[in-house]
Amino acid sequence: MSTVEASTTALITEAAPDNKTRRYDRQLRLWAASGQSALENARILVISGGATATSILKNLVLPGIGHFTILDPLTVTPEDAGNNFFLDGLKSVGKSRAEEGVRLLLEMNDGVDGKAETRSLEEVLDAPGGKEWLGEFTLVIAVNLEKGVSERLAGVLWEEESFPPLVVVRPAGFLAEFYIQYHEHTVIESHPETAQSLQIDRPFPALLDYAMSLDFENMDVTDHGHIPYVVILVRVLEEWKKSHGGLPPQTHAEKSQFKKNILAMRKKSDEENFEEAEAQAYRAWTKTVVPSETRALFDDAKVASPSPVEAPFYKLVRALKKFVGGTGQGALPLTSTLPDMKASTGAYIELQKLYKTRAEEEKEEFKACLREVCGGSIEGIGEDVIDAFVKNAHALKLLRGKRWAALDGDHEGLVQAIQTSSKQLSIHLALSALANFTAKSKGTRETLSVEAVTAEAKKLLPEGAELPDEFEDCVGEVVRSPTAELPNTAALLGGLVAQEVIKMITKQYVPINGYCVVDLVETWTGIL
Amino acid sequence: MASESPTSAQDWPGRYHHIDQVLDNPGPRTDPAFLAGDGVKQFLRNEAKILVIGAGGLGCEILANLALTGFKDIHVIDMDTIDISNLNRQFLFRQKDVGHPKATVAAEFIMNRVPGVKVTPYFGKIQDKDDDYYMQFNLVICGLDSVEARRWMNATLVNLVDPENPESLKPMIDGGTEGFKGQARVILPTISSCYECSLDMLNKPTAFPICTIANTPRLPEHCIEWASVLEWPRVHGDKKMDTDDPDHIGWLYKVAAARAAEFKIEGVTWSLTQGVVKNIIPAIASTNAIIAAACCNEAFKIATSSAAYLNNYFMLIGTDGVYSYTFEHEKRDDCPVCGGEALEMTMSSETTVEQLIEILVEKQDIQIKKPSLSTPTKQIYLQAPPQLEKATRPNLEKKVSELVPSGGEVTVTATTLPFSLSLRISYSP
Repeated sequence: MSTVEASTTALITEAAPDNKTRRYDRQLRLWAASGQSALENARILVISGGATATSILKNLVLPGIGHFTILDPLTVTPEDAGNNFFLDGLKSVGKSRAEEGVRLLLEMNDGVDGKAETRSLEEVLDAPGGKEWLGEFTLVIAVNLEKGVSERLAGVLWEEESFPPLVVVRPAGFLAEFYIQYHEHTVIESHPETAQSLQIDRPFPALLDYAMSLDFENMDVTDHGHIPYVVILVRVLEEWKKSHGGLPPQTHAEKSQFKKNILAMRKKSDEENFEEAEAQAYRAWTKTVVPSETRALFDDAKVASPSPVEAPFYKLVRALKKFVGGTGQGALPLTSTLPDMKASTGAYIELQKLYKTRAEEEKEEFKACLREVCGGSIEGIGEDVIDAFVKNAHALKLLRGKRWAALDGDHEGLVQAIQTSSKQLSIHLALSALANFTAKSKGTRETLSVEAVTAEAKKLLPEGAELPDEFEDCVGEVVRSPTAELPNTAALLGGLVAQEVIKMITKQYVPINGYCVVDLVETWTGIL
Repeated sequence: MASESPTSAQDWPGRYHHIDQVLDNPGPRTDPAFLAGDGVKQFLRNEAKILVIGAGGLGCEILANLALTGFKDIHVIDMDTIDISNLNRQFLFRQKDVGHPKATVAAEFIMNRVPGVKVTPYFGKIQDKDDDYYMQFNLVICGLDSVEARRWMNATLVNLVDPENPESLKPMIDGGTEGFKGQARVILPTISSCYECSLDMLNKPTAFPICTIANTPRLPEHCIEWASVLEWPRVHGDKKMDTDDPDHIGWLYKVAAARAAEFKIEGVTWSLTQGVVKNIIPAIASTNAIIAAACCNEAFKIATSSAAYLNNYFMLIGTDGVYSYTFEHEKRDDCPVCGGEALEMTMSSETTVEQLIEILVEKQDIQIKKPSLSTPTKQIYLQAPPQLEKATRPNLEKKVSELVPSGGEVTVTATTLPFSLSLRISYSP
């Protein structure tokens, strides 16, 4: 016991986490302190205080969004009190829906700031400074707005690229959809499932020297059984190339032979590191390339033409392009992360050091490219951003969005969707047609029917185009329950929308681009 | 506290305006047998009795959704107390509730918020309850984080089915989440694929070989495992490690950090230490909301027939866009719980009993720890009690073929299994 304690006292270790870290532990493991800080600095506007809206907010208040405002001029009805968990039953009836919602939502997290705004959206849009007021928010969510005012809001927020993204949410009974309107969204930390290449096919000089310097033949048996597979592959590949005109194995037969060569090096039949090398042998002949999505970024118009107001992302991509074309010799900066492998501690740490040192050098070279791109100084771009960028260079994302409802006026897009996504499109058409009918029939005696909504849907399609077969199932559902915010649908949308909003705000993971449609009869979701 | 009996007295006019839209009219895909109107409302609001297993991340959401959709008689079982790390998603709990039983606090919250709903909590284990208890419910929804508890519940509900009594078939709706991913499924015991049928879909838990931990650590996780698996018992003897005790985690962290420094391994942090020793799975409110809503929607559709229900598996991945996949998971004829047929096992006639046990422990579709084996006529190897273990231990070295004829049956039992598994043994030539 004394030895353990003696060895620990000399070490500087972090203290036990504070209450806030403990509270958020399970989410910090997904988006880390940087994501949490983005959430805490975000200000969200939610238009409407209905069941879906409070369900969305619940999932933003719990993880600790900085601020939210509910904009809603209505008072609570008995119908509201029956299906909204953030109302206090009949006790809330007659009170402001925004104020009741804010009060009960804030009970969940005292680190969050919330405000009720009892004006209507029309009032906000009509008032002087309304646009600026909207522009103060990080993101705006509109639930169940009438068609006219939705269009107006979407139009205003589309005017400037700097205006907040808008999420438009429309439920009707078992069906629903939501859309995120943004000009563009860039992601560095996309949390990809795939790791970066170890570049075994083109080992960096220090790795090659190390692999070639080892005396495999005369090595101690224990050490031999603990050489990391990366080193084995580099060695076998180098020797292979010497006798094959500098080429890696090409044909199936050659690849089999290559694997046999690996196994032939074993000193004992149970050397697991050689078995691992055989299993990983494909890495020796898989060419390290820049993934096509990253390559496409290099050719992006905005990357090609620098602008004084552009986001750092573009400068970083431009620098990456320069790096790949220059010192990178066609590859992205080397990864500093080594997967676990059968090896002794010493051999593994040695290899890790080689990778880390080289990765650090390549990062410096990348920074030189960045400095050049930025015209000398890169002070505006933090070291942590550069680190994250280099680490995720194989999984960068640039999403370009469209204005909300652009699809409804895009005949070509609709015709294509009939062919490729008829199921998803049917839900969207039914919900859009319902909204159009509701707007048109306001103040008239026209009654809702399958025929009336179907007629509206046909108007959305170009002449000659037929409604998809699945439309019938969808129109029947929206006519059955045109104004229903079912608690389960509201809760499901609450989760989905909050998830996408968190991805937008943290700029981590990848949000949807387009409509997400939901069918809770057969229980599926789709993207349109 | 809310009313004691599930009456409709508190159903104010307009209360179910939203839900009644789908209960008063069928949709295009609604079963023709659906009787729109008062009958179905009466059943949902005054007769249906539903059991929720788990009052945690999924459980809190499930309870709120069920209450709002009109279920009035809800029971909930949970054996845990509230921890501060629950508060980022388990929205029925507050700081002041930390340390109190989840089931009780959740039940009280729901009854205060949603008038006329009766939630009966049980603070304890599902295994405490017998068949008669489970028999009283129409539906069971599971929001659990443990494979073992799901297997128990699944096996219990499958065993409950009596072909003579249609009431004995209790649909089980099961949800699960991990970070941005999750799944919801409907299990009709004995009729559709059960939880056990799909066991091979689970990810294999990460296990670090003991020799790596002891001799060749490479990752920070190896150092943490060394501290918890080897150093803790060596230093503290029989004293049990409590992974919820910050002092214990602090000790493990310091010991792991010291070992890491000795081996020049980077990355041992407090958070990683806690994550490894508690096997922490990331959990967020939004994923739980999605999966719980999907589960409750199935419960609502099954209870009311207002729409078709999920057949039978919904899988969600929310990391890259919103990706989901709905499919029918097939029933397994050799499922040890609902299949009826013995599992075929072919092995070499040289395979020893010990090797067979190793094969069984490794097998992804049965996931068993410490199995005991017997044939209809004799015991092959028993893990407990100690006398029988000792008596049967010599069999470990024997060949299975000496003890079981080709085509013979072996029964496998284990304390972690709520059922026994039949193997039909054959030998490869």
